[in-house]
Amino acid sequence: MEFKDNIPIYLQIKQYLYRQIVTGELKPGQKIPSVRELAVQLTVNVNTVQRALQQMNVEGILYTKRGEGNFVTEDTDLLEKTKQELIDDELNKFVQSMNDLGVSNDQIHDILSAYLK
Amino acid sequence: MSNLLEIENLTYRKNLKVILKDINLNLKHGKIVALLGENGAGKTTLMRIIAGINKNFRGMVAIDGVQSVADRKRVISFSDSLSGFKESTKVAKIINFYEYLYDDFDKNKFKQLQKFMRLNENLRLSEMSKGMREKLIIALTFSRQAELYLLDEPFSGIDAMARKKIISSIILWKADEATILISDHFVNEIASMLDEVVVVKDKTIYCHKSTEEIRENNQSIEEFYENIYGEGDE
Repeated sequence: MEFKDNIPIYLQIKQYLYRQIVTGELKPGQKIPSVRELAVQLTVNVNTVQRALQQMNVEGILYTKRGEGNFVTEDTDLLEKTKQELIDDELNKFVQSMNDLGVSNDQIHDILSAYLK
Repeated sequence: MSNLLEIENLTYRKNLKVILKDINLNLKHGKIVALLGENGAGKTTLMRIIAGINKNFRGMVAIDGVQSVADRKRVISFSDSLSGFKESTKVAKIINFYEYLYDDFDKNKFKQLQKFMRLNENLRLSEMSKGMREKLIIALTFSRQAELYLLDEPFSGIDAMARKKIISSIILWKADEATILISDHFVNEIASMLDEVVVVKDKTIYCHKSTEEIRENNQSIEEFYENIYGEGDE
């Protein structure tokens, strides 16, 4: 996993885990890898992983079982909301980069329809 | 949290020449910190002072509030360049030496690290590549149960695979409360695993910053570091 070095890494770890959850790589109720496993897998600091997981616990997308680790929420509303947020993020990026290329919002609509046909 | 390492108003001269001056530095428990600076900036000297090898300094150096050299040496594991050993020495003999010298040398931990690094203890130093040698140094250094680990340029001149292996071993085997100070003159390759960076410039600590704070300002650690060293050149 390659991180961008000018964005806080704990935010990128969160994005990475959101994506794994939304795509079903990590399933509702499933235990996620331990802090140290994630740190080694992502080549980051244990403290940084901890910070990301703490925030995700506060958000409710993960929950902690004492002595057992972190688990993915089974709250379907929250999972749906997380998916919607990821979609919005991607749309935002797409529209922004289209605008940067001089494509107006109206044009995006037409271009996209034509592309998807 | 209390400070693990405290340095106050440290000045170090060698042959009447000022090497380091007005050094103030605090490090907390449980951190991975890079000590950055150009070659010759004084990184190794600072490490040697912290480790209790260079003693004739002015100022205060304390670990957990204790200043005595003997007490400091007990809780600091400093990477040795192995230059004290003959090139014909076998790895196994070096391990025995470490076991004999350090009460806190954990043979089991060494065995795990050795397996992870794929170190063959029948090799002689002269038969080892630069990367292999660094792996051995890291394994030996980490096998002590210390509070502060000082790694002096463990990544210089080694290939990407060896570097990856060493970085993984740092993340895997660092005890939660232990702090690691790693010196390097190049930050990019280790940036993702750092909590903090300390930059040595103009014979003193030029800055000490959290890596995530630097990134919050949309700056990469490398840009941040290059900006510091770029300033003086114009």
